[in-house]
Amino acid sequence: MAADKSLRQFPPNSAASHALASCPLCHKVNSVHRKSCSRCGARLHLRTPNSVQVTLSFVLTALLLYIPANIFPIMSTELLGDDSPSTIVGGVVLFLEHGSYFVALVIFTASVIIPVAKILAIFWLCHATTRKTPLRHYELTRLYRLTEFVGKWSMIDVFVVAILVALIQVQGLMAIHPGIAANAFAGVVILTMIGAQQFDVRLIWDKQRLP
Amino acid sequence: MATVQTQTATHQALDLYACHECDLLIRLPDQYDARKKLVCPRCHHTITSGHRNPIDSVIALSVTGIIVLLIAGSFPFLSFATQGQSRTITLFQASTELYLQGFDLLALLVFCFIVSLPFLYLFLLLAILVPIKFNWRRSQPIFMGRLISFLLPWSMSEVFLIGVLVALIKVVAMADIVLGVSFWAYVCFAPIFTYVVSVVDVHRLWHWIEHGR
Ligand SMILES: [Zn+2]
Repeated sequence: MAADKSLRQFPPNSAASHALASCPLCHKVNSVHRKSCSRCGARLHLRTPNSVQVTLSFVLTALLLYIPANIFPIMSTELLGDDSPSTIVGGVVLFLEHGSYFVALVIFTASVIIPVAKILAIFWLCHATTRKTPLRHYELTRLYRLTEFVGKWSMIDVFVVAILVALIQVQGLMAIHPGIAANAFAGVVILTMIGAQQFDVRLIWDKQRLP
Repeated sequence: MATVQTQTATHQALDLYACHECDLLIRLPDQYDARKKLVCPRCHHTITSGHRNPIDSVIALSVTGIIVLLIAGSFPFLSFATQGQSRTITLFQASTELYLQGFDLLALLVFCFIVSLPFLYLFLLLAILVPIKFNWRRSQPIFMGRLISFLLPWSMSEVFLIGVLVALIKVVAMADIVLGVSFWAYVCFAPIFTYVVSVVDVHRLWHWIEHGR
């Protein structure tokens, strides 16, 4: 057994405490002394380096970008030369006024609830790794899985805009143009997805039975 | 479900596995069996899902998926008619119209998310699996395996499908909409792709790459 003292900080049933590192890409178990995975060549680390800091920086950027994504119009409808811009929330309100409650709910969930809940969930996970009190490991892991799973579903609104912009172009009558919030919102989704990928859930499980 | 034991002492890294989500050191069954579902005993992370005949299924569905996607790319997607004027778009115009309006980056992202990355993913799977199926001698397709891992999170065909449906609900009241061949092809493509992704987990993919079976 590798006599590294630093490995003793890991729980006794973990691969890390046995001087074994799991490859981030192909999940093969390698000795910690290797620099890259013996199967796929990816760089090896016991835990994703600076996982919490990197995750936080992506998610904070996403949070900042979420402000212009909501303030500026995501698209504008040009009707007989008249331009009427609409924001994400404005689009939801429009569906509500037309009585399409289900679509309003879908858009509201995908564009508001999921991104905000996801950002909050990642903050909570990052906070949990720094706490001294015992953690609910299993529940936090499930929260992380949910966060990873719902990530790309926020893209719905961007795709709706893409389809409407392509489809509704009637010369001199009506046209739909994309707004800058579409860029900002796509940025929010991509940044939160990368942020979630960078978070190393194993940090949660490292926090058990500390001496 | 197979019995998975917690490993404590030995260092023969051959059939050892560290749970990707909780780092529990696990001893996997000695014999690889594609039909067995393996689950981490501590955090219930699915290491690999059980499937009776993954190689044949994935090859068949990937070929189908690629054909369906080619159909989706070569026929009209949607038509829109109002007050004597009509407009027909192809699948690609969901991206190219954004480009024409000056949203270059977004256009590129949409194109990647809905067409090119799912296509590349299926193509790479075939490039890995067809030589295995027909026993062609070749080196381990490591690079393709790595590429697949990077592509996967960014393939959003099922999300795009829901986006199209929402857009349709929005316009169906103000004009006549005709759903084209390409639309129905994409409706078939999204579930096929999602199913293939669920069969090809990391554990299975790299077993194929490493052992060629
Ligand atoms: Zn686990």
